[in-house]
Amino acid sequence: MASLPKRIIKETERLASDPVPGISAEPHEDNLRYFAVTIEGPEESPYENGVFELELYLPDDYPMEAPKVRFLTRIYHPNIDRLGRICLDVLKNNWSPALQIRTVLLSIQALLASPNPNDPLANDVAEEWIKNEELAISKAKEWTKLYAGKR
Amino acid sequence: MTDLESDDSLLLEFEDDDSESISNIDAPTDSKATHLDSDFANIPPHNVDTDDSEFDIDESQFSEDDLEDDYLVFPIKKTTKDLLDEDSLPSLKYECLTTQEIFDSMKRRVHHLQPVFSLPPQDILILMQRYDWNEERLLEEWTEKMDNLLIESGLNTSGESDGRGVKNGKEFFCPICCEEILTETFSLECGHEYCIDCYRHYIKDRLNHGKIITCMDCSLALKNEDIDQIMGGASSVKLMDSSIKSFIRKHSNSYKWCPYTDCKCIIHLKDTLSLQEYSRLHASRFVTCSMGHSFCFGCGFEIHAPADCRVTDQWVKKARLECENLNWVLSHTKECPRCSVNIEKNGGCNHMVCSSCRHEFCWICGGDWAPHGSSFYQCAIYKNEDKNKLVADTPKKTLRRYAFFYKMFTEHEVSAKLDWKLGETVGFKVKGLQEKIGVSWIEGQFLTESLKTLNEGRTALKWSFAVAYYSDPSHNLTKIFIDNQGLLSNAVESLSELLQIKSPEVIMKRRTEFYNKAGYVKNRTKALLECGRDLLRKGISKARE
Repeated sequence: MASLPKRIIKETERLASDPVPGISAEPHEDNLRYFAVTIEGPEESPYENGVFELELYLPDDYPMEAPKVRFLTRIYHPNIDRLGRICLDVLKNNWSPALQIRTVLLSIQALLASPNPNDPLANDVAEEWIKNEELAISKAKEWTKLYAGKR
Repeated sequence: MTDLESDDSLLLEFEDDDSESISNIDAPTDSKATHLDSDFANIPPHNVDTDDSEFDIDESQFSEDDLEDDYLVFPIKKTTKDLLDEDSLPSLKYECLTTQEIFDSMKRRVHHLQPVFSLPPQDILILMQRYDWNEERLLEEWTEKMDNLLIESGLNTSGESDGRGVKNGKEFFCPICCEEILTETFSLECGHEYCIDCYRHYIKDRLNHGKIITCMDCSLALKNEDIDQIMGGASSVKLMDSSIKSFIRKHSNSYKWCPYTDCKCIIHLKDTLSLQEYSRLHASRFVTCSMGHSFCFGCGFEIHAPADCRVTDQWVKKARLECENLNWVLSHTKECPRCSVNIEKNGGCNHMVCSSCRHEFCWICGGDWAPHGSSFYQCAIYKNEDKNKLVADTPKKTLRRYAFFYKMFTEHEVSAKLDWKLGETVGFKVKGLQEKIGVSWIEGQFLTESLKTLNEGRTALKWSFAVAYYSDPSHNLTKIFIDNQGLLSNAVESLSELLQIKSPEVIMKRRTEFYNKAGYVKNRTKALLECGRDLLRKGISKARE
């Protein structure tokens, strides 16, 4: 296996020694660029009490290129589609090499706390969100219970 | 098109004959035409002679610029010219530029803006980039926001320039690569310092994005001089180039890249209003870049008159849709007229004997062989053989009809390619004329001109088959169109033959013939183009799926 850049080693170490509350990220045994991630639903959000699994991959050009992140757990959210792809600026245009895995995961957690139906990825969800927010929120809660229940 | 009409008197004899016979046939369908012609007269003349405007810098030029939805004001210059000499069409005003020329004119704008902003040119350049080179919007926002605009654009407002730049080698821990090595570093006034390698890597990726490059950790912008300092050489040119490119993409209705391979020319159309007029008249907007590549501004395709963009689009799509297999079958095989078996002709003469039903027929027209004998048979016109059975277009029949037109189209395409090869030898011939018989360069140009005329004739002929395919075959005008095709086809062939002559002496001796035939081709081409436009305008030829 090609030697891992120091940057990735440092970040991995720090994620283990000084974890972010509510977030865990562990590299895969066979591939140290591939991380198994869990994010707890933020309090007072429809995703509260849910634990969401994600996958995170650091491309060859990391940190010049953004990490690739995807939800594995189903989630009812206007900025996350059925395949778990996330619409988040720091993962696309606003990526900067000064950002890190932890900052990205924090941004995702923040996205759960404040969905943005005006910049949707899942159009159907966003539409419902705008039309009837209460209903959408209750549906998000239901899905959280259904798919992201604590094991 | 340059004038070859010095020998006009000779051509006129030819011309009159044909045009008369045609206008006679035309008479019955003319009731509608007069109506349309009167429409023509109402079109306001759009010809502002650009050659003159260089000298009189007057209101007309300014008011024109105001009309443009573009804020860019380029000096009207060089390649601006009239395209079609038909009186009915407004002339297209355009110029051919390169990204460098556009950037240079941007720099001139920056220079003009300097008194307004009283900022260094580099800073104004950043502002212009941020506003996609839209000067007006920039000025508007500037009056509203002033300093906030500078901060938003990542410009340093503190006035201090301490800490900006590349720093000498030292032991340094770079938070990007997490390496601790002896290295040069770079930082802006914000103090976010990273090793030079990380910065190079970071900038290299972004030079092609055409967007302002900022500090890796904040929104402070890197100026061109910073980029050049870090990367070495004039790397910022690349960023400016990509920024201009994205500008062109955003203004694709008035800026178009020349579609020819590796051509770096950009055509800037000055009055987009004339475009509507063109599409209304089913005429296409052909432009020529400074490398001499001609193309259609509307669809980016090659010159496709008499077809309009819609017909061209449909025709090309169709050719693609009828996938290669089918095209092969269509262009290489024919059905036996009696038993409908597909037959591939892989050599030999046109006297065919079907291997399954032993029917004898002519390969060209598909008719019985018996009446052919050994005589010449005219087969260039598609004849609806089964006139009695003409009830509905069965799929097979439409296919065969398409196959015919497609064949004619490709045949002329192939011939055009061969003509290009011929063109390569023409240069030598002109040289030969000069060396062997002491003909001056200017005098020898009639050869090059003839070749050009030939190519134009071929292209028109080629695309005329696309128009003909979509035309209502029963309409009188379609028949006239097909007659016109035949006439141009003959004219083109005889000119092509003339251009095969190798001996310089013979060429010079038959020089008048070159003039005559080229002039004739020119007139026939014009007639065909006009007829084709008529077909489209009257809706007799209509692109359909």
